[in-house]
Amino acid sequence: MLLLSMELIKQDLVDFEDKVADAFNSGKIKAPIHLYSGNEDLLINIFKSISKDDWVFCSWRSHYQCLLKGVPESDLFEAILEGRSIALSFLEYKIFSSAIVSGQIPIALGVAMSIKREFSKEKVFCFLGDMTAETGIAQSAFTYAENFDLPITFIVEDNGISVCTDTRQTWGVKKLRFEESDNKKIITYKYSNKYPHAGAGKRVQF
Amino acid sequence: MQELVSEFNFKMGIYQAELKRAMNYLSANSKVIFLGQAVAFPGTAMTTTLEDIDKNKLIEMPVEEDLQMGVATGMAMHGLVPVSIFPRWNFMLLAVNQIVNHLDKLQELLNVKVPPKVIIRTGIGSLKPLDPGPQHKGDYTTAFKAMCNKIEIVRLDSSDMIFPSYKRALEREDGISTIIVEWSDKYYE
Repeated sequence: MLLLSMELIKQDLVDFEDKVADAFNSGKIKAPIHLYSGNEDLLINIFKSISKDDWVFCSWRSHYQCLLKGVPESDLFEAILEGRSIALSFLEYKIFSSAIVSGQIPIALGVAMSIKREFSKEKVFCFLGDMTAETGIAQSAFTYAENFDLPITFIVEDNGISVCTDTRQTWGVKKLRFEESDNKKIITYKYSNKYPHAGAGKRVQF
Repeated sequence: MQELVSEFNFKMGIYQAELKRAMNYLSANSKVIFLGQAVAFPGTAMTTTLEDIDKNKLIEMPVEEDLQMGVATGMAMHGLVPVSIFPRWNFMLLAVNQIVNHLDKLQELLNVKVPPKVIIRTGIGSLKPLDPGPQHKGDYTTAFKAMCNKIEIVRLDSSDMIFPSYKRALEREDGISTIIVEWSDKYYE
């Protein structure tokens, strides 16, 4: 298997987000951005299982996945400067993002269905947040993927909040459904992000 | 089940025959696949237009319209030409997110000149022999034309529009997706 961007280390990812944050705070980016922090090692480890031929689907926060999927840093930074941070997609690198809650999920499922139908060896990795994981369409996708044993893995990135809303408090539970699920298509990890939901903390919130 | 089947056991008119011819034409393309509700199982008048198609090309989907529509877009991204079937406009309203926010924006999102395309088939509910009421007979052609900038929307007002519309939707090479709308009442003509 041809692995991707194995040379990227945690500090590379951190430095990239800091560079984007600086560009945003200095007014060079005239569009909303969504930044990661605190999950670098976890993502690097997940991407050890993702090859060049596999597909990656993300939400509005996807800079790290783009870099780890092999999108050149310069191309990615240029796209962000053009205002595409919240829906970065690079078809040639098989990565797609949606800025709409759950938007990427059924599209990822469709790619997985097509892969299985055509007996391809490709795999699909679909990233989503903890609040998104509770939506009806996410639950349906989890169930369908497991029932038909589709070549897809859902990665729930649990930072406990949606924008500023506490996911568990809002649903009135201590544990969300994916935490108690035995669905083998789902993996999860927890992290805490130093950046706010949108922006880099020094400029007007989107 | 017997009653459901017999409900659609009427003499085929030219409108329905043309729809069946168009579906058979689409199915001859190895990349085309059909998905939706009452696609592999009987249940609607549309089903009767798919009865000659290889069962391997018919994917019955759970009733969750936005999921179905996103699945179709994903299949298109992987190289297939999906025909996503919604028996009524009213049902397809539940797929607005995937149609308006994703499929219609695919060229811009993917930053490509020719995005993957989907063919969407839907219908205006019939008034005869039973009037299904306000939730089953809507025609949102004008509204969707206003919401979608990149998707072509064609309403099949006459039977001679059917085959050319589907042929164009399949053969066009500009990546434009097409919503093709039929009149359920014309099946009886």
